[in-house]
Amino acid sequence: MVPTVTATQAIEAFARRRSPANALATDADAVARACYAMADRFDAGGRLVVFGDRASNCDAAHVVVEFVHPVIVGKRALPAFALPGPDFAAQIGLLATSTDIALGMSVGPPVGAVRDALRAARKAGLLTVGLFGAGDGSPIDYPEVAEHQFVVASDDPLVVKEVQVTTYHVLWELVHVFAEWSDRSGMSR
Amino acid sequence: MTGVEALYPFLYDRPAGVNGTGLEEVLAQVAHSTERKVAEIDQLREAVAAEYAVRLADCAVAMAARFAAGGRLMTFGNGGSSTDASAVAARFLDPGGGARPLPAFALTEDVATLTALANDVSFEVVFARPLAAAGRAGDIAFGLSTSGGSANVLRGLAEAHRLGMLTVGLAGYAGGAMAEAAERGEIDYLFVMPSDSVHRIQEAQTSTYHVLWELVQCALASA
Repeated sequence: MVPTVTATQAIEAFARRRSPANALATDADAVARACYAMADRFDAGGRLVVFGDRASNCDAAHVVVEFVHPVIVGKRALPAFALPGPDFAAQIGLLATSTDIALGMSVGPPVGAVRDALRAARKAGLLTVGLFGAGDGSPIDYPEVAEHQFVVASDDPLVVKEVQVTTYHVLWELVHVFAEWSDRSGMSR
Repeated sequence: MTGVEALYPFLYDRPAGVNGTGLEEVLAQVAHSTERKVAEIDQLREAVAAEYAVRLADCAVAMAARFAAGGRLMTFGNGGSSTDASAVAARFLDPGGGARPLPAFALTEDVATLTALANDVSFEVVFARPLAAAGRAGDIAFGLSTSGGSANVLRGLAEAHRLGMLTVGLAGYAGGAMAEAAERGEIDYLFVMPSDSVHRIQEAQTSTYHVLWELVQCALASA
């Protein structure tokens, strides 16, 4: 048979993204607080240390380039690097300091190396941020692995990734907003 | 950045100093800006779905036909788009969940070749040269650029077209030079995310290549 797909299938596929993507708006206050804390760390000389499990590897690299080489001309470069893995916790111990920020990503609940690294980072005094997917469970009553964590309410790893891309784009922008506000007001946070 | 004053008035509407906008108000304004961005990407995805649903289905069928005949997918892009190129290749090659693995690789992951060409020749040829070496007429080239103007992506797609490969492009803004390349016939399927925000463009492109992957799987299953 000749392969066929219809435009309706494409429209339905896009429609499945709407609800989990729009749910990010309900996290807007938490996103703002995370960015305020991140800006504080950068202000104190901290660096962003990023890591993700297999499906989030590319996103870890994407986050780094966002911070190091901003798409908006005139924004300052902020220090960020990705951990190569597979033992992220050990690499936190070797490469990070207590003033740094650990950003761990997975498209499902945090398990294995990402969870272990966030726990090690928190214990070592790093600010911890987690981007996760709900998997088959609910984002409500999700175990707290990072101080600031954002759980996409979808069990589709592709949809989770898409919402996480928006989330880390927003994190980058708002960190700069807080940094500029701090510079203008002359207040130490 | 356009609209930034409207999003963050506290950065602009008062004199700096300790009597400026307080933290609570700043947090509230920043939270509101996040809500607006979420609404923007929702509208952009809707616009892309409405504009391209038919073309995406056609593109998926064309890609499926190439895969069915033994064709391979080669992906490429710069910066954040290089990470998307890697993600596209990984998705096709190793999808998991019972989906059909398909031959795909990201040219951006061959750092040895990429840096050799950039150092010895020019950055413009880093995708065109590997395509000229490895590409075959039945293969598929997949180039991503948020601006639509990346010279090396354009060169890569032009070379792939010359070889007889199926060429697929993702762009943003109004398509830039990639729109012109599509008019010349060098890009068989071009999907332009109609936005002037690099971030929203990348987010919509991510959804677009995910949907395209899903449709290719459906097309292959239907045959």
